[in-house]
Amino acid sequence: MDDLLNEFLTETGESIDVVDVELVKLEQDPNNKEVLDNIFRLVHTIKGTCGFLGLPRLESVAHASENVLGKFRDGELQVSESAVTVILESLDRIKEILAGLEATEEEPEGDDSELIGRLDAIAEGNDAPAAAPDPEPDTVDGEIIEPVLGRPLKAGEVSLEELEAAFANAPGPGDTDVQETPVSQPSGKDSSASLFDRIGGEDTIAVAAHLVSQRVENEDKFAKFFEGTDTEQRKGRFMGLMLALFKDDMDAADAVGRQLVTVAGFGEPQFDAMLDLVKTVLVECQVDADTADEAVMMFELVREAVINASKEVAQPKATAGKAKPGAEQPQAGKETRRSTQSIRVNVDLLEDLMNMVSELVLTRNQLLQITRNMDNSELGVPLQRLSQCTTELQENVMKTRMQPIGNAWAKLPRIVRDLTVELDKKIELEMLGADTELDRQVLELIKDPLTHMVRNSADHGIESPAERIASGKPEMGTIVLNAYHEGGHIIIEIKDDGRGINPEKLSKKILEKGLASEGELAGMSEAQIQKFIFHPGFSTAEQVTSVSGRGVGMDVVRSNIEKIGGTIDMVSTVGKGSNFSIKIPLTLAIVAGLIVKAQDERYAIPQISVLELVRAASAERAGENDHKIEMINDTPVLRLRNRLLPLVYLNEVLGFDEIAENEDRTTTDDFIIVSQVGTFTFGIVVDQVFDTEEIVVKPVAPILKDLDIYSGNTILGDGSVIMILDPNGIAALASQGVAAAEDEEDEELVRRAAASDKESMLLFRAGQTHPRAVPLSLVARLEEIDISTVETSDGRLMVQYRDALMPLILADQSMNLRENGNQPVLVFTDRQFTMGLAVDEILDIVEDELEIKLASDKDGVIGSAVINGKASEVIDVTHYLGLAFPEWLGSKDMSEEASVSRSAENILVVDDSDFFRNMLRPILTVAGYNVTAVNCAEAALDRLEAGNHFDLIISDIEMPDMTGYELAQAVRDNPEWAHTRLVALSALSNERDVNRGFEAGFDDYVAKFDKDTLLRSLSQQFKIKGDAA
Amino acid sequence: MNDIVVRDDLSLVTTGVQDFVTVMLDGQMVGIPVLAVHDVLNTQQITLIPRAPDWVAGVLNLRGRIVTAIDLRRRLGLPPLEKGKSSMSVVVEHNEEPYSLQIDKVGEVLSLEDQLFEKNPVTLDPRWREVSIGIYRLKDQLLPILDVDRLLAFESSSKAA
Repeated sequence: MDDLLNEFLTETGESIDVVDVELVKLEQDPNNKEVLDNIFRLVHTIKGTCGFLGLPRLESVAHASENVLGKFRDGELQVSESAVTVILESLDRIKEILAGLEATEEEPEGDDSELIGRLDAIAEGNDAPAAAPDPEPDTVDGEIIEPVLGRPLKAGEVSLEELEAAFANAPGPGDTDVQETPVSQPSGKDSSASLFDRIGGEDTIAVAAHLVSQRVENEDKFAKFFEGTDTEQRKGRFMGLMLALFKDDMDAADAVGRQLVTVAGFGEPQFDAMLDLVKTVLVECQVDADTADEAVMMFELVREAVINASKEVAQPKATAGKAKPGAEQPQAGKETRRSTQSIRVNVDLLEDLMNMVSELVLTRNQLLQITRNMDNSELGVPLQRLSQCTTELQENVMKTRMQPIGNAWAKLPRIVRDLTVELDKKIELEMLGADTELDRQVLELIKDPLTHMVRNSADHGIESPAERIASGKPEMGTIVLNAYHEGGHIIIEIKDDGRGINPEKLSKKILEKGLASEGELAGMSEAQIQKFIFHPGFSTAEQVTSVSGRGVGMDVVRSNIEKIGGTIDMVSTVGKGSNFSIKIPLTLAIVAGLIVKAQDERYAIPQISVLELVRAASAERAGENDHKIEMINDTPVLRLRNRLLPLVYLNEVLGFDEIAENEDRTTTDDFIIVSQVGTFTFGIVVDQVFDTEEIVVKPVAPILKDLDIYSGNTILGDGSVIMILDPNGIAALASQGVAAAEDEEDEELVRRAAASDKESMLLFRAGQTHPRAVPLSLVARLEEIDISTVETSDGRLMVQYRDALMPLILADQSMNLRENGNQPVLVFTDRQFTMGLAVDEILDIVEDELEIKLASDKDGVIGSAVINGKASEVIDVTHYLGLAFPEWLGSKDMSEEASVSRSAENILVVDDSDFFRNMLRPILTVAGYNVTAVNCAEAALDRLEAGNHFDLIISDIEMPDMTGYELAQAVRDNPEWAHTRLVALSALSNERDVNRGFEAGFDDYVAKFDKDTLLRSLSQQFKIKGDAA
Repeated sequence: MNDIVVRDDLSLVTTGVQDFVTVMLDGQMVGIPVLAVHDVLNTQQITLIPRAPDWVAGVLNLRGRIVTAIDLRRRLGLPPLEKGKSSMSVVVEHNEEPYSLQIDKVGEVLSLEDQLFEKNPVTLDPRWREVSIGIYRLKDQLLPILDVDRLLAFESSSKAA
């Protein structure tokens, strides 16, 4: 493509983008003269350039919108929404034509008369016919435009002179194009016979400027006036000045002239001396004497500016209040300077550069690896330097690819603005952190998803003004875009204060589309249901509007983001709004990779997805405190900081061996890479972990594209090729239900925050077919005991366990121990008592609500509960402890903590949460207390009034109707119950709450979830009581 | 007069004589058009790719380029190489992507006249027929010629396989 045209396309494209944004600004702030000027100038430039390049269609459209803008500027028209809409439309048309131009290098065919007609109509709107302030319509080849008919300006009707005139009149020295004016603008070519060309063009001027700037420094009479500038800067200024002068661009010349001298005292004599110098230099540059004289004459034009500038330097304060033109000049100067500091570079070139640097990094790594194995190599030092240079080069090249995320946002204000008109909503778009930088490649990839999401927020999220007012929100909805860095990632948030995502509406949709059954939905939380918007083929819009719902749903957004190694998450509250957050890596090309081994091959895992490394000791050597891989029904898990971490064996994922073989590997230590995909955290078990290395991600060959477990391959320092694992793919392979698990994880967070009613339950089977359950918190360990080590002593089953004898109880009378092999055993521990409960099979660990539906009077059973959709017997651990240790209950008296207590104390538990009552009861029962539980304060008082004796009351604080404080007061007010100790148990545990609790009469205050503290508190309370008694 | 089939393949018609790199595969000599061959390498260290199709031997490093290695024996339904013997690589390109064909041994380069060429006998094993352009009649044996593009057009072949 023609260079000139190419330049024009790039430049015009940029200008249009700016105009887009500025117009929206203008609409909000119609009186902002600066914005208006800027828009006018840009549109004008576009028009001018089009005319020069012979693009009649573009030109006529630009001309018509410029007319309207001109009227805005002259105050003849009021800025109105409708007018801005039409202008925006014309910009779109220009973009369309530009796109055509780019594709075919010719203006596409088309008729713009209707659009131009509307623009003209607006221009004429409030104005009397002929007296247009803009002279252009009048001078179209003597033809008079019929404004009423809105007759279009046809191609070719505008003469070239006319355009040139318009060009020369182009306003504003502060024009962003100043730097380009002398070089590439058409007017420059026009004055071909000008001084500029006679001097010898830009090249000669550059040489002259160089010489002048050098001599100025060497000659004493000048040197002091140019202090504080280096040769390059001076050269730039002289060059700019000369270019401007010799090309008749007086405004620019004036601006540069003012900058020339930075020190006060540059007066007439100095200026004359400088002129002499310029002349000498020009002659030296083989410019003939006459031309040189003429050139020097031109300098006279800036004499005043230069000398004044010098004076101004002397008294900067005095000039501060000077009128506008002065204020504008420095700005123009700044633009000029900026032009010399940045150049346009083809993106392909940057890509190539990046590729080369990647190769360089690889080679460097290779060299380092080789020399590492050599002793005292003389290569060492230079190699180190090479290495450092390479690293710096890499960083710098990376920087060239970095762009502010604002570039991806530039179009959003316009989009939102259009939406507000189309949907009749009021929306404000707030953009924070627009200068956060990220890799160009990544930027391109997130542009569309971002646009889509903002559109979604505006269309689905923000309500109509009426709706908003009705729900007590400000009429104006807000969408906030926020971008920031966080540990090698960029986080982008898209927040709106709209209606949020309605799970009920979604549920209907989900059912309609058959994505889930009613039963499944019933079991899901709101957040889980809301996550369905990421489900393929899902769109929540009630009807397909022109705005969104074009078949592109959030699932596409999600997959696009995941493609670049990012994650997306959402929190939505009905009535409050939604908050999407996207986490993406800064760059894709070079990443840090953790090198691991499975079987005999090495693999790389992107460091980004590695949360931590855990070493699990082999089963044989595992000590008390070591991490250990445990099995639940063939599913390996790891206890990590009181959470269960699902595990996958890399060997198995890669198809090397079966899980059984992994299980048998009891002699080696395992390394577990804790990885996060979305909000799903899991562990990858590998054989060995090496170090981390900078790796250059290369795409895999097309035939391997289907393998999701690899994200690419790379060459290591030693020259070997290794595959890069993709944790996303591994997670998907390892569990089909990652999405579900993700939600579960989220749920977990929510649950922790809100203290809802879920508890980890261990499910097992013993004797009969139905599952049985026990709260996991009561289980000390899960063991598999070799059946041959089970002994019988005194008619009881015993096993040597950790250097002691542990009694073994069958969980069900009808079950038998296995003939051989290993027997799964649940180990319960209470102080010095440790017992094993032999079961047939450990089924699962589930998190579910523990709600005892049917109480049972059968020994060893608390009752039945529905867990994981199945009726399960919840066992009573105290019963089995009693069976194992007949002396266990009695031992309570002997134990130190409970030594002051008499027989079992009576405890009343007051809590509105079924879960807590059901959890506390077994815990307290196991601890040897008699427990009564009621679900509200009134019921507790009823019991007390009925004459029931309680030694201690454990009460929740937050309860409906009557709070724990009130209950405590009521108890304290009655002298009969004064001896009853009161312990508060609450999720509210800040100091104020605690103090309030004590004031109300509680003897102690324990945070919920803290079993140990509660038990300690209880025994303490009884001790106090005992002492008092 | 040349064979009709040869005319279909313009590249063969133009010169009259074609050069082929011969390689050995399980005792069978096979020809690869010399212009298709970029490199011939001795035994290379090949990184396995678990879960990849079985005829993908792995990836190897060719002067900083990552090359996918194709196990030609498996691709053509031949038994795997005996243990202890290592394969050689013939690097070809397909859709600007380098591939290495793992073969037993590289032989000489033969210049063969077009009249020795014959199309595939219909009774040829379909796996061979799919990837063979035709066969040259040499004095003491027959030389099937590999069609590299068809051999590496995985989209269609994977369906067929």
